[in-house]
Amino acid sequence: MASSYSVKSALKSLAKEKWINILSILTVGSSLLIITLAVFFLYNLGLITNHLPERFSMMAYLKDSLSQEETQAIMDSIKKRPEVAKVSYISKEDALVELKQTLRDSSHLLEGLDENPLTPSIELKLRKEFVTPSTTSRIAEELRKIPGIDTIYYGERIAEAIHLLKQSVQNISIIIFLTISLGVVFVTYSTVKILFYRKKEEIEILKLLGATSGFIRAPFLIEGGIIGLLGGILGIVGAFVFYFAVTYRLSMVIPMLKTLVFPVGVLVALPFIGIILGVIGSTIAIGRIRL
Amino acid sequence: MIVFENVSKFYDHNTVLKNITFHIDKGEMAFITGPSGAGKSTLLKLMYMAELPDEGEIIIDNLHLSSLNMPQIPLLRRTIGVVFQDFKLINNLTVFDNVALALHIRRLPEREVRSLTSEALKKVSLRHLAGSYPKSLSGGEQQRVAIARAIVGGPVVLLADEPTGNLDPNTSLDIITLFRGLNEQGTTILIATHNRELLRNTDKRTLKLEGGSLAREEMG
Repeated sequence: MASSYSVKSALKSLAKEKWINILSILTVGSSLLIITLAVFFLYNLGLITNHLPERFSMMAYLKDSLSQEETQAIMDSIKKRPEVAKVSYISKEDALVELKQTLRDSSHLLEGLDENPLTPSIELKLRKEFVTPSTTSRIAEELRKIPGIDTIYYGERIAEAIHLLKQSVQNISIIIFLTISLGVVFVTYSTVKILFYRKKEEIEILKLLGATSGFIRAPFLIEGGIIGLLGGILGIVGAFVFYFAVTYRLSMVIPMLKTLVFPVGVLVALPFIGIILGVIGSTIAIGRIRL
Repeated sequence: MIVFENVSKFYDHNTVLKNITFHIDKGEMAFITGPSGAGKSTLLKLMYMAELPDEGEIIIDNLHLSSLNMPQIPLLRRTIGVVFQDFKLINNLTVFDNVALALHIRRLPEREVRSLTSEALKKVSLRHLAGSYPKSLSGGEQQRVAIARAIVGGPVVLLADEPTGNLDPNTSLDIITLFRGLNEQGTTILIATHNRELLRNTDKRTLKLEGGSLAREEMG
């Protein structure tokens, strides 16, 4: 455990080498702010993409000749599937009404139709987690085998697009987080490395007086941690400024911005992320101490 | 207390110390002398493991140095107080903090650190300079700060490398009187010096190094 002496040494060093430390804190702060903004955009994009699967549906077109009992039996068997969230029956009459509504402006297309040419169908809504290209194509394949079902229509491309979009959002989040975290580690690494070299003589004296490597290391780790902590707090301040500028000021001009959600959890985590990255940076900077 | 058995040290095929064997008893005060480059500093460095011997065995306070592993080195260094030739004071710490550092390293509580440091500064008559910085002190005063730091932890062995190196004869005498006082209180002391004046009237044992070998032992 760090002694009060180590903490005092770290604070003294922070004050003594204030310019290099202020610069590091500013750099760490802006890096963490970039992480926050990235999370902010990706989180909101994530919210949108998360709702996309709810709009995804599969249509099973039935043979015209089916009796009511047969239709019911098909619906029951589909309902039993674990992937299915909701099943609704659309009669050929309902389908025609819907078509007429869709073609309102081009109703002449339907003129001269004596008979309803459409077939009844079943609309399936899948549970969110099953809207992936592989699952949807497997379900479609299995539904096709059910006697009484004529054709299956579902937007394969849509399922693929939704999946791709979600994956991309996730991958971009990870890449941004890792790249910037690496940057923060590098900043604290460089700062602590410089401070470590400046104190080389002092460290040699400490060793000769009987200091353990932990005693020598502690003030540097604390200093790196404090740089990370203050950078994190600075990041929070920056994020608040951004949040008020965007949702408060800009939303007066662009009302849509009001719907943006700010992930508060990230803000709470910033100082902790800062401390962890700062300590990692300083640990690498000091390396192994040979007594 | 200090045992050297056939200790040799080489630097790039040059022999710095060759087959050194001697014993220093508990509570003894002794001198190592010899011209510059005779290996006096190296011999002291071997004792606090700033250097490692290439041959032989060194035992200090029953610790066999060759069998110590890395985490045990700090413990050895805490049993030995060293007054370095170049003092090795930290310039941005006050006299008080320089001395207290040796106790902070031992993780003693702040209260104890304060009282022991004050006591050590009193022994070297430097309490009035506790708040000064090393650079504002004379050579003799800096030497005494180094001595206070070496004794503050109550070492069983005190090593001093040319403790009167750059001091005038009067200050040198003060320093030696200080060492005698510490020795009378039971501390084992080994002083490396080439100051003949210091050895002229001594009743202590003197080990003479010449070209890396122990040339002779003289009783004062």
